[in-house]
Amino acid sequence: MNLGFVIGVLGVLILSHAAYSTIQYRGLLKITEEEFTGPPLNVVVELIVGLALCMWAALTFPGKFLSIHPDSDENRAVSLPDNSDFMIFNHRGRLFPPEITMKF
Amino acid sequence: MGSSEKRSKDAMSDIPTFSGENLQKNLKVIQNSRTFLSIIAGVLAGISGFTGLTGFVFYFVVMLITSVGLIAKAGFSADLYFDSWNRVLFDGFLGGLMSFVLFWTFAYDLVHIF
Repeated sequence: MNLGFVIGVLGVLILSHAAYSTIQYRGLLKITEEEFTGPPLNVVVELIVGLALCMWAALTFPGKFLSIHPDSDENRAVSLPDNSDFMIFNHRGRLFPPEITMKF
Repeated sequence: MGSSEKRSKDAMSDIPTFSGENLQKNLKVIQNSRTFLSIIAGVLAGISGFTGLTGFVFYFVVMLITSVGLIAKAGFSADLYFDSWNRVLFDGFLGGLMSFVLFWTFAYDLVHIF
């Protein structure tokens, strides 16, 4: 989580620097009385870099995807160290033949 | 003890159950990602000076790239994390549009008008 957050902050900082550069560029255009056709090339590069960083941060920062299958290893409803005090084995199930392989 | 609520889609047929709690968490992750990227796309469109239709086209391009990124994050197999492909691709597509327009006009005013 930490790395995604840092990259996101970095992307936002790069975007705000690009915004400041564009403001200065527009001030320059007002002096020379030209039209604003598009931001200068270095601002475009900064915007692309900022977008790439923010996209990476947006995909990694909110968290991982959790599996929704009830059979996967991370969705165990019972885990042995938590429950070993309450497990009893002296019940009627001992009469069944042991044909199921249990995961521990 | 870890607990996950089981919710079966259809009690009569043989469709396996899935954990509804994890599905909700995954949908929240997608929604957060899309909202954040809508805001970033809005700021970018405002800085670049897009007006009119170009800005909306830019928004849909960014959302498409987000969809590709989310599918890559899910490992190209939506069955493991979601119940249908539509959730990954199209959930929250239009929800970020309003945030996009808000930050687009905000950044445009900030950079080009003041």
